[in-house]
Amino acid sequence: MSVSEALKSRDASLLPSRRDEAWRYTDLRAAVRTIPEPSPLGTVPAAPGPFAAIKADRALVIINGRGPEVLSLDTGQVLCVELRLVADSHATSHQSDLRIDLASGAHLTLLESHEGRGAAYLSSANLIVHLAEGASLERVVILDEPSDAVSVITADITLSPGASLKQTVLTRGASRQRFETQVTHPGGGASVRLDGVYMLADKCHTDLTTIVTHVGPGGTTDQLTKGAVRDASRAVFQGQIQVQPGADQTDARMGHHALILSDRAEIDAKPELEIFADDVSCAHGNTVGALDEDALFYICSRGVPLDQARAMLVQAFGLEVIGRIETEAVREVAQAWLAEVGAGGSDGL
Amino acid sequence: MLSVSNLHVAVGGTEILKGLSLEIPAGEVHAVMGPNGAGKSTLSYTLAGRQGYEVTSGSASLNGEDLLAMAANERAAKGLFLSFQYPLEIPGVPSLTFIRTALNAQRKARGEDEIGAPAFLKLAREQAAKLKIEFDMLKRPLNVGFSGGEKKRMEIFQMAMLSPQFLILDETDSGLDIDALRIVSEGVNALRSPERGMLVITHYQRLLDYIKPDRVHVLAGGKIVASGGPELALELEDTGYDRFAQAAA
Amino acid sequence: MAAVKQTIDQVEQLEAYEHGFVTDIAQDFAPKGLSEDIVRFISAKKQEPDWMLQWRLEAYARWLAMDAPDWAKVSFPKIDFQDLYYYAAPSQKAGPMSLDEVDPELLKTYAKLGIPLREQEVLAGVQGAPRYAVDAVFDSVSVVTTFKNELAEVGVIFCSFSEAVREHPDLIKRYLGTVVPTTDNYYACLNSAVFSDGSFVYVPPGVRCPMELSTYFRINAQNTGQFERTLIIADKGAYVSYLEGCTAPQRDENQLHAAVVELVVLDDAEIKYSTVQNWYPGDAEGKGGIYNFVTKRADCRGDRSKVSWTQVETGSAVTWKYPSCILRGDDSVGEFYSIAITNGHQQADTGTKMIHLGKNTRSRIISKGISAGKSSNTYRGLVSAHAKATGTRNFTQCDSLLIGKASGAHTVPYIEARNASSKFEHEATTTRLSDDQLFYVMQRGLSQEEAVQLLVNGFVREVLQELPMEFAVEAQKLVAISLEGSVG
Ligand SMILES: Nc1ncnc2c1ncn2[C@@H]1O[C@H](COP(=O)(O)OP(=O)(O)O)[C@@H](O)[C@H]1O
Ligand SMILES: [Mg+2]
Repeated sequence: MSVSEALKSRDASLLPSRRDEAWRYTDLRAAVRTIPEPSPLGTVPAAPGPFAAIKADRALVIINGRGPEVLSLDTGQVLCVELRLVADSHATSHQSDLRIDLASGAHLTLLESHEGRGAAYLSSANLIVHLAEGASLERVVILDEPSDAVSVITADITLSPGASLKQTVLTRGASRQRFETQVTHPGGGASVRLDGVYMLADKCHTDLTTIVTHVGPGGTTDQLTKGAVRDASRAVFQGQIQVQPGADQTDARMGHHALILSDRAEIDAKPELEIFADDVSCAHGNTVGALDEDALFYICSRGVPLDQARAMLVQAFGLEVIGRIETEAVREVAQAWLAEVGAGGSDGL
Repeated sequence: MLSVSNLHVAVGGTEILKGLSLEIPAGEVHAVMGPNGAGKSTLSYTLAGRQGYEVTSGSASLNGEDLLAMAANERAAKGLFLSFQYPLEIPGVPSLTFIRTALNAQRKARGEDEIGAPAFLKLAREQAAKLKIEFDMLKRPLNVGFSGGEKKRMEIFQMAMLSPQFLILDETDSGLDIDALRIVSEGVNALRSPERGMLVITHYQRLLDYIKPDRVHVLAGGKIVASGGPELALELEDTGYDRFAQAAA
Repeated sequence: MAAVKQTIDQVEQLEAYEHGFVTDIAQDFAPKGLSEDIVRFISAKKQEPDWMLQWRLEAYARWLAMDAPDWAKVSFPKIDFQDLYYYAAPSQKAGPMSLDEVDPELLKTYAKLGIPLREQEVLAGVQGAPRYAVDAVFDSVSVVTTFKNELAEVGVIFCSFSEAVREHPDLIKRYLGTVVPTTDNYYACLNSAVFSDGSFVYVPPGVRCPMELSTYFRINAQNTGQFERTLIIADKGAYVSYLEGCTAPQRDENQLHAAVVELVVLDDAEIKYSTVQNWYPGDAEGKGGIYNFVTKRADCRGDRSKVSWTQVETGSAVTWKYPSCILRGDDSVGEFYSIAITNGHQQADTGTKMIHLGKNTRSRIISKGISAGKSSNTYRGLVSAHAKATGTRNFTQCDSLLIGKASGAHTVPYIEARNASSKFEHEATTTRLSDDQLFYVMQRGLSQEEAVQLLVNGFVREVLQELPMEFAVEAQKLVAISLEGSVG
């Protein structure tokens, strides 16, 4: 991972640029001229994290890259973990690595938040996850970072047969933000759901990148990402589904749907299918457009002011994704996030 | 005409038909009735030659020729027609084009001359009118976006156009309203002749009011468990399949 | 369906690649290899004015500084550009000729390929039979162009590119390289230095070209690159439909075809550009075949202008090609309809770019890819809307059909939207031929091979319908032939 390497060696020339195909829409080298000083030891924030309302079994905190490095669940263990990655830093940089191992049949609900308490930091957080047979992971991530931060979050998730991954990421973006998920999918009854919602304003940027590699037969993947960009913000969606030779009976679906609410905003999408097996059924759909004028008119005709009608529709747009979160209490946190973030915006929308 | 003897068929490793026997002489219409999952569609797919329907023992012949040795299209050329319970959609291939291609493929297989475009169109117009099918519908890709009833009507239209020797109707009545049922039945009855045989698969007595069977068989648990005259169908309407299902178990 | 039937008969009669014969004819070659002298040689052979030579030399200098692209999903051994001939022409006098002066061997070649070169024969044909004008390009030169006089009567210029450089220098100077700049990409730059021949079309304001125009490209000579250059200009309110067809002999070595096609469309004008590409794809083991590296681009400069690209790509060992539209004029329209079929060891990386710059511009992309055998078939496309391009629309439908275990099908779309009133819709599917559909069709009497062809024809029909009538039937046959032996 070149971002981690750039941070460790403090060499900005190792950062990816738009010349790298995988980073064509997120040019870190242009955004970061020099790697900032390493972050100091931070302090645990007094304010609770976004998942505080949920009673987790365990709370893990990584501050300025320092914290636990391993989380393991035993066979059949069921656990709900609140994982807070806090950047308590001003114009400094840090990076962290966390390894998560789920033994067979274990179930982890991971409530992960990336909380930027400082400003203008550069951070990199990497997760390596291994799911043994029949293990399951429900990962819900809220990215709450300042608009001048540069942040790269990666997860490399390997599933065993019969395992299940359900992921939802919610973000408002940052100066440059990349949330990348790589999944190695064995097929064999394993299932993957990868979802995301972005709500961007001002000059924020986010890049949701997924690479799902089906290496064995009989796997399913279901992806849905939706979002809205206003002001001069920019969202990037790159979704790649790979089906390797022999991964027959793969059923993979990917949807990305975006609303552009301002002429200065931008959406870049690259939904990609790479298929080397013949007995597969794969599809992707991508739409980019404005809010439905008819629906706006309909709502306004019932007496709702235009701004409110817009906010209502934007929220409704994202709600479809949030409705796919299975645990009710988590879904409610996500809904509250959407209500708060979806209603905002500085150009009066 | 059709002769099925002690037929055992497995699908995906599970035995579905467990020694089914049936004789349908030329000129006769036989109904096969039975509960959901009895194996009725399995029987029709096996006779038509669908892959994945493994005949583990028994035989099936049409006019003395071994059906099981033939590919699906060869069976069609011998005059076997299956009206599908769930007709498939064929995108991009206009219905008429499809039927003409099929007809000429069958004629070629039988060593007959191809039918010319004018004769074909004339026939198509006549048959479409009888089945109350808008001619414009025939220009649309086969079954794509058709309603359930339209698809069934299209099956009967194909049957009329291909003029087969032996007809299998697999739940052709399902999804039809009462008018459509009458029209479809008239289409089927028009094909009744001393040379043709028919196997009518249905759940309901209703269809048999329109297409009068010579014999009625009850299929349960992968076997014919009862046979009788048309009155058997009426009896079933009252008593249901339960007692046969038990008998088969 | 007569066409399917016909196709099947055809398949039975034909060899896998029916255009694989070689014409035995005396040819002039430039010395092997590439250098400034070769560029001068080509220019001199074509009796070009000095400005044209200078243009070529500048391109050559820039090409020397460029690297070959490596981002496409294709792989092939590095091309040794010094091991190629850059000019091969039938020995004959330079300049336009009458048909009687053309070598009879050449005429036989075109007759065998079914290309009508004798106007009177075309004219003597069946009443109402479609007439179309042909520019026949054999290796590096145009052999003959038909119907020139009749076209000239309405002001349409249709001639070989070489002739246009001599006869219409103002138009060439004004438009050449304005759509595809010399340094656009590696192969376009190479082409700019060594381009051999191609067609030139100019349709004056308000004129609807009275017949289809077509160019027929044939690579014959061994180890020879073909660098065609085509330029079509539809002036205000003009309309022209143009078709190109391509074949090459069966040879064990790979041959290079690096073309550049530029279309200029002014206010209210329309160009319909169709391609049936059937270059030799190589043999069953993947030996030989054409490397088809092509840059095709249309510039919709005028308001309400329209370009429609239709391509049927069945040949070539390696294809790298993205016919594109720059939708500069307000309310302009770009369309791309594509069938790309790969079989054997073929590799294709093809698609389009729709660049929306003007207001209310619209584009439509329908791509149907079929991969069989051990081949690889990639759709790569870009749809982008500039912040000022308000009210733009795009619809993309991109379907891949897989036949055979060892083939690959890839879809790589790029979608870039920069304003709030654009609407982009993109759908893609990858599936294999459905067993259920196959059984249904076979139950009605078609053999497996016939059933596959019928379903494939259905799959590509939406695109075939976009071809001019007289070529649609040919293309349909080609689709069937390309997939021969892919199922069993
Ligand atoms: N592909 C299959 N694999 C396994 N079982 C199947 C398959 N298709 C059908 N069956 C089973 O075979 C039985 C008979 O099915 P079918 O012939 O469709 O019944 P019917 O038409 O009488 O309702 C059912 O129990 C059904 O679930
Ligand atoms: Mg059934």
